[in-house]
Amino acid sequence: MSGERHRQFFAGFALAVAVAVVTIPGTPDLARAQAPGAKPEEAVAPSRVVPSGAKPAKGSAMCGVCHSDIRVKYEKGIHKSEGVPCTSCHGGNAGALTVEGAHRDGFRGKPARRSIPALCASCHADVARMRFYNLPSDQYALYQLSHHGMKLAKGDESVAVCTDCHGVHEIRKPDDPKSHVFGRNIPATCGKCHGDPDFRKRHGLKEDPVKDYEEGVHGKAYLSGEDPSAPECTRCHGSHGATPPGVGDVERVCGQCHLKTRNYFIASPHKAAMDAAGQPECAACHNSHKTLALPPEKFAASCLECHDKGDKAYNVALTLSRMKDDASSEIAKADKAVAEAAAIPLYVDDYRSRLQDARTALLEAAPVTHSLDSTLVEPHTRRARSIAAKVSEEVHAKVSSRWWHKVGLGLFWFYLLVTAAIIARTRRRAAGQSR
Amino acid sequence: METNPEGKRSLLGWLEARVNLTEIASFLSVFGLLPAELDSRKPLRAALREAMSQPLPSYARWPRVLGILSFLLFIFLVLTGTMLAFYYQPTAEQAYPSVTLIARDVAFGTLIHQVHYWSAVLFLLFLGMRVIRFFFQGLYARGREIVWMVAVLTFVAAALADLTGRLLPYDASGYWTTVRAREVTDALPILGPITSFLVGGVGLDSMVLTRYYVLHIAIFPILLLMLFYFHFSSVRRVGMSRLDVAPANRSLRVAMYDLLLLVIFMVGGLMTLAVLFPQPFDAMANPLHTPPDSRPPWYLLAPLALMEALSFLPKFVRGLIPEVVLAVVLFLPFLDRESGSGARRRLFRILGIALLVIWGALSWIGWFLEVRR
Repeated sequence: MSGERHRQFFAGFALAVAVAVVTIPGTPDLARAQAPGAKPEEAVAPSRVVPSGAKPAKGSAMCGVCHSDIRVKYEKGIHKSEGVPCTSCHGGNAGALTVEGAHRDGFRGKPARRSIPALCASCHADVARMRFYNLPSDQYALYQLSHHGMKLAKGDESVAVCTDCHGVHEIRKPDDPKSHVFGRNIPATCGKCHGDPDFRKRHGLKEDPVKDYEEGVHGKAYLSGEDPSAPECTRCHGSHGATPPGVGDVERVCGQCHLKTRNYFIASPHKAAMDAAGQPECAACHNSHKTLALPPEKFAASCLECHDKGDKAYNVALTLSRMKDDASSEIAKADKAVAEAAAIPLYVDDYRSRLQDARTALLEAAPVTHSLDSTLVEPHTRRARSIAAKVSEEVHAKVSSRWWHKVGLGLFWFYLLVTAAIIARTRRRAAGQSR
Repeated sequence: METNPEGKRSLLGWLEARVNLTEIASFLSVFGLLPAELDSRKPLRAALREAMSQPLPSYARWPRVLGILSFLLFIFLVLTGTMLAFYYQPTAEQAYPSVTLIARDVAFGTLIHQVHYWSAVLFLLFLGMRVIRFFFQGLYARGREIVWMVAVLTFVAAALADLTGRLLPYDASGYWTTVRAREVTDALPILGPITSFLVGGVGLDSMVLTRYYVLHIAIFPILLLMLFYFHFSSVRRVGMSRLDVAPANRSLRVAMYDLLLLVIFMVGGLMTLAVLFPQPFDAMANPLHTPPDSRPPWYLLAPLALMEALSFLPKFVRGLIPEVVLAVVLFLPFLDRESGSGARRRLFRILGIALLVIWGALSWIGWFLEVRR
């Protein structure tokens, strides 16, 4: 009886699978019909899950029997979950029951290193196929324009190909934190080559860009998680089209995020002067990989790298520096006063939010400083300074109005001493009586 | 109105006929505020007149004043504590805001808060000094064993009340002091499990805070009151002080005026401390952020240093040392039964000095344990 029921269940299950197999290949037709300008004769083979050339539903079946270590990696990757089988990269017959049989039928083995970008591109450059995954299909085109791609075309196989960054069998999606191309892992991924001392010696590179990045403001902010909008390597260099920005382009790259700063810089006399001197604009003062915000004490020093002490330009720097120093020391003073008032405790929430305004004004002064025009910077620093000074003044007034407490204490002691004197007198009488 | 025995009509006489006023007044004497026994069979005036002329040692004089000062401070703590309890809310979310409310918005709230703080500091200090005085003046000799043991236990109970009070504001320093203190008390072998059981949790959340609150405002104050009662009761049996040290040369009437003067100067002192040396108001506790200088309270620094210094001994043995020392101090009258100034008394005196010096040194080490790290 129970055996009969099981048989019925399996029959139903098999029917459901058959229905699914029939329906799945139908979906891309629907999607393709909606794609504008797609002609039926140009359309790829009607298979969404299996790339062309591979045999459906057989692509990985038997490979894992021998290549179990690779299978373990492959099964963690996106190609497994999206149904891209072994044979689509390696060729061969995954359904064969012998080793010889499997390694036949266009078996490629381990693809040659220089052929890898083209191999990946056979699917990933296909717009029609990538559309369903909402993936771009221009990576191969970009790669061929990148320094990596151009060197590979010249026969230099030491450059990065797809698998060096994305992994080989265990290819994960970029938003998977275990992926090599997940945001926070990118510096380490690029660092596999660019942080390697041997690699840098071969290519005559002195600086370690990865170490420098980690020490700079961008690396600190990004890797600590403090600011996820800070850049990793690819935000400045590109990923597939990786290219170092040349002199003259730096300000454009930095300007993608530091928009205001860039506008003020372009309008300043520095732009023309630096172009003429062949200086890499932003990087000349702030460094490239080890990006540093210029603290006030280093501000004037970095000017002295090009300007002489005492000349007009240097005086401008000193003026700008002093304006920022004055504002930040005024804010520090107000901070201290507020902390003292909070320890009493007095109401300080309002003062704290006003000091936040002062800090914002000082922060706004930073991009404007790149204009080198003190009349533009002054409104911001003045605002920061005046807010902080007003807060200091009000807090001090509030704290010092507590002198009344000491007067109260004095009056209280006067009252106590008078009472004590009366009691002492009465006590003396009582002591006299008892004797 | 009834007439009193002299034939005048008075409110006192009217009351006297309906209530035993002498019995009510003798309640005060039970707690030492009237250091004489009242004969509750007599009318109040007569009983007081009789009591007032009794000779007494001048207990409002240094160093005998420490005891009565501690008791007055205890009354102050109860009064100010009650006022604070009108506004305080013992939950992890509301504790800090309610203390902020007291210190910032309530009229004279910060004064009451500071007076409570300074009373607690002085209370513990005076009780400690009192134990030391009792030791060096030999005031634990035969007959005064209860007085000595009660003095030691009062100090311990006051320390526990202080310890539980530190958490209540739920500010950063109080919170982390409590965490550090619990690290010490939980490491003690016998007392540790008892305190853990009383406190009822590992973390310092609302449930544990409520326990601390109940211990602080009910259990330990009642315990202290019972100990004070024991002390006064024992003192009425064995005498205020040793008569060779403090001869009874004052009447109770004069002693009562002395007491009033004492209260006046104590109030003045507390107000001065509260206004001129206020305890700074700290930020709210953040259980995820330990301030760098968090230490247990001063009376636990020595046990902490001991436990850290003797790390080669098993934890059980290390924790046992402070407990054995406490037990020896508590049962001192039974170990040193010699009266006068024999060789044994001298030995105990030297041991006591050594203990104080070691305690001081260990506290010093315990204070700097955190700085070195």
